[in-house]
Amino acid sequence: MSDGTIRDMKGAFSTDTVYRSEDVPLTCVPHPEELEDTLHGLMKLNGLIIRSLEEIAGRGANAVTYRAGRKYGHEVAKYFQKMDNIEEALKELSDILRGQFTFEIWKPADKPSYIIQENGSTFIYLVFHDCIVRQTLRRNGQPQEGPLCQTLYGYVVGAIEEITGRKAKLEIVHTGPNACLKKLILQ
Amino acid sequence: MIEIRVDDNACNGCGLCVKDCPMHVYELRESLSVPVHPENCMGCLSCHEICPAQALEHKGVYPSRRHYIDIRVCEMLNRVI
Repeated sequence: MSDGTIRDMKGAFSTDTVYRSEDVPLTCVPHPEELEDTLHGLMKLNGLIIRSLEEIAGRGANAVTYRAGRKYGHEVAKYFQKMDNIEEALKELSDILRGQFTFEIWKPADKPSYIIQENGSTFIYLVFHDCIVRQTLRRNGQPQEGPLCQTLYGYVVGAIEEITGRKAKLEIVHTGPNACLKKLILQ
Repeated sequence: MIEIRVDDNACNGCGLCVKDCPMHVYELRESLSVPVHPENCMGCLSCHEICPAQALEHKGVYPSRRHYIDIRVCEMLNRVI
């Protein structure tokens, strides 16, 4: 490698910027609009990790991603105020997750309340609008409802368990390009 | 509430939207898809994607964030279109 090439490479990384320990960054650098390449790289990487995990671990991949999501849910929700009211807990969770996993409590028009009791089980329908998992999967052309969706499943279950102290299960009812319908089963 | 419009001239009555919708929003009547329960539509747009005739139109849907779109590719496509 010639001296000129090395000088060019080094030159690209040398600036006059001064970092002081008391400096608190107030803006993202670079501007979020310039982060497109980074975001696409992250989505690709995430998709490939999940695909490889599925190839090696088979059905065990779901258990791994579910556990990771559940831990994340417990971690985030431990700073929440504890409450018994499941609807309130979901509302608070939705506010905090806005942007990453924006969801709303939903019910078919013929149901009188959001908490539905059918065939001996009690559940709430959740419609997930914005979802980083869905975006990652669609970016990579991977099917929905796979192991990456299990992270979200674990996340909601973990958060609900942490806030209300009640055991819960999440079932994927339907997935679409713009929103997904899930069923939060209360135990 | 979401309003759904089916283009009668485009719909070929394949029934894919009827089968796909978990909330039974559509029914096949005289070989045409009819949104009989639009009030139950949650705006997943799965029917929109699956319709081979692109006969469906939804009004009032919350558009979810789409970070996965490659802006450069879309700009190129737009120029071609």
